[in-house]
Amino acid sequence: MASGYKIIVMVKQVPDTGSKAGLNPDGTIDRARAKRMLNPFDKFALQAALHTKKMYGGSVTAISMGPPPAVEILLEALEHGVDRGFLLSDRRLAASDTLATAYALYKTIQYVGDFDIIFCGLQTTDGDTAQVGPQLAERLNLPQVTYCEDFSVQNGEVHARRIIEGGHQTVIAKPPLLVTIANSYHPLEYKSFRGAWRVQQLQRKQEELAQYIKTVTLDDVGADPERCGLKGSPTIVAKTEKVGELGGSCSIHEGKAVDELVKEVITGCNVKEFLAAGKK
Amino acid sequence: MAEEQEKKQPEKPELKDMSAICPIGEVLVIAEHILGDLQPVTLELLGAGRILADKMGQPLLCLVMGHELGDMPQRLLDHGADRVYVADHPELKNYRTLPYRRVVCDFLESLPSQPHTCLLGSTTTGRDLAPRIAAHFDTGLTADTTELDIGPYEHTSKVDPSKIGLYPNCLYAIRPSFGESLKARILGPWKNPQMATTRPGVMVPLPRESRKGEIINIPVNLQETDHRLTVKEIVREVAKGVNLTEADVIVAGGYGLGTQDGFNMLQELAGCFENSAVGASRKVVDLGWIPYQNQVGQTGKTVRPKLYIACGISGAIQHRVGMSKSSLIIAINKDPDAPIFKFAHHGIVGDCYQIIPEMIKQFKQAQSTSGVKEVVGTH
Ligand SMILES: Cc1cc2nc3c(=O)[nH]c(=O)nc-3n(C[C@H](O)[C@H](O)[C@H](O)COP(=O)(O)OP(=O)(O)OC[C@H]3O[C@@H](n4cnc5c(N)ncnc54)[C@H](O)[C@@H]3O)c2cc1C
Ligand SMILES: Cc1cc2nc3c(=O)[nH]c(=O)nc-3n(C[C@H](O)[C@H](O)[C@H](O)COP(=O)(O)OP(=O)(O)OC[C@H]3O[C@@H](n4cnc5c(N)ncnc54)[C@H](O)[C@@H]3O)c2cc1C
Repeated sequence: MASGYKIIVMVKQVPDTGSKAGLNPDGTIDRARAKRMLNPFDKFALQAALHTKKMYGGSVTAISMGPPPAVEILLEALEHGVDRGFLLSDRRLAASDTLATAYALYKTIQYVGDFDIIFCGLQTTDGDTAQVGPQLAERLNLPQVTYCEDFSVQNGEVHARRIIEGGHQTVIAKPPLLVTIANSYHPLEYKSFRGAWRVQQLQRKQEELAQYIKTVTLDDVGADPERCGLKGSPTIVAKTEKVGELGGSCSIHEGKAVDELVKEVITGCNVKEFLAAGKK
Repeated sequence: MAEEQEKKQPEKPELKDMSAICPIGEVLVIAEHILGDLQPVTLELLGAGRILADKMGQPLLCLVMGHELGDMPQRLLDHGADRVYVADHPELKNYRTLPYRRVVCDFLESLPSQPHTCLLGSTTTGRDLAPRIAAHFDTGLTADTTELDIGPYEHTSKVDPSKIGLYPNCLYAIRPSFGESLKARILGPWKNPQMATTRPGVMVPLPRESRKGEIINIPVNLQETDHRLTVKEIVREVAKGVNLTEADVIVAGGYGLGTQDGFNMLQELAGCFENSAVGASRKVVDLGWIPYQNQVGQTGKTVRPKLYIACGISGAIQHRVGMSKSSLIIAINKDPDAPIFKFAHHGIVGDCYQIIPEMIKQFKQAQSTSGVKEVVGTH
């Protein structure tokens, strides 16, 4: 393709915290039993990637690192219109912290090839650090726009609006760059019937699917295993502790007539103290 | 067998002393300001950093980057720093990732030994900058911490036998995780500086006192590649009019109101209270339903009223950090699993459009019965 942008979107599979299945009694996640889903924040990144392709042409490659089932989210990305996907999957990646993750993803991006724009989600719902995007940008020596909520290209320059404390700012940069998309960006459009149908057809013919989704290992991408997984991670989770929900326990009022509910709350706490004096 | 042996040797003499790997050292806070406005989180970090530095008997350093900073360096001393390093350059006036990253990396590289700990705010600036520094130095970074401490760590995992040992002075970086239901203690004892970003509004700043200390100017050597991104405009909506931070009662609305008109109902509810105001989530501010002045949360205002009534607000972490210290929180939400019910004091599961009119009705009744005396008195 002569014109348009080579776009990469980074997607992660996370445990579905909304469903109660797979939660250990101590509040941690049993990853083997938990339902899995595409990180909700990455849907906004996917939308930004697909919209950029639609507006300015080019191609979208989705990249994920995770255990084999993570291929599910690459299929989902394919249904939404992504052109191809790569899954980096290797046992030696277990227990990677953000630094080790960013290193492994950096090697994968180099393996995948040339790019103009990389979109990441703002953060994930499991690790929740928002660190992988900027760390990836550092490894790739790229300018970055984090907390981006609006994105367009004008005369070859990216114009992006990012959230800041007390407002927002608009920044301009030329590709290549890395952008992390906030959840105030446009929601992901529904997948087209055609997209879903195409992927369904592909799944019937594994050899053909392999042309679109490729699973690679650390050796394939030339990553140093010493810099991945537990060994390559400068941080460790030393201890976890269950805490009472923040702010103590909430008394829930439900399942009664509206006037009863309201009366219950008003008598249950000292709201009346704050009432203004009555009308004349 | 192995277990029995361990019982007989509670001292575990085989644990090597690893204090040379991450020796104690200074604590460094990286200051943050927007358009010359020093961010409160910086003072909070100085308060927390002071405690860590004192525990190790080490100085507290602060690095501030900007242009024409006025009395800001002195303020940083007054709030607890022993030494303030100032990088002054026109190109540093407003935060941009690459120039700030350059200055911090050059500064750290120029030091004879690395600080023990390096702290930044868990803000849109701190979370943008800190990961780049950490990646540059291949050091650990804990996100969004709410507690910090210094303490020992015994590493016994056999994955890398060379690391087994006792690390006497680690940064304990503690962060809530999994929807705040767990607290995780994260350590990075292999390398200094041990880095963390810290959630605004959690740590306690020291009061401003006239304190002596050193202010040191440091060189700024930006490179051409640091200017690959430019800031076109910064919009900071400084709140006027609504005195959200001083209100005793705040009635706040979110996307669950469904339409802008919902705020009329909230206005009426707020009107039932003395010294009250209307607040909002960022989502409805972005939709233009209500001005920015009314926004509560990480990128809006931090409020601490006596009563906070949240209507159709899900309770996202960025909203919660702005209001969780309210004395009494009542939440109305039709979803029984909404996160706000995890930290509100009273939760009503129901539709705002049924609950709120009923509240207004009952409050008005309460007023007219309790207000009789005053009516007589004022006439
Ligand atoms: C409770 C808990 C606390 C943790 N705290 C820390 C900590 O403080 N510091 C630390 O270094 N590590 C921490 N970790 C480890 C961290 O979660 C993992 O390193 C994880 O692989 C990446 O971090 P994240 O999920 O926070 O991603 P984030 O940095 O929040 O993700 C941002 C974006 O990067 C991209 N991305 C992230 N991971 C992948 C992936 N696997 N494949 C493709 N794209 C991806 C996505 O676009 C994503 O939206 C913690 C883990 C747990 C379980
Ligand atoms: C960097 C950054 C900074 C941010 N800063 C802020 C900030 O300062 N302040 C802030 O608020 N947000 C902030 N956000 C956004 C935040 O993440 C959430 O997106 C936002 O708070 C959600 O707003 P909401 O609760 O109004 O909407 P939603 O999350 O959509 O919640 C709507 C709620 O209404 C309920 N509901 C629907 N209909 C009804 C009904 N009829 N009756 C009762 N309940 C109903 C639903 O069950 C749902 O829980 C920030 C985000 C980022 C990334």
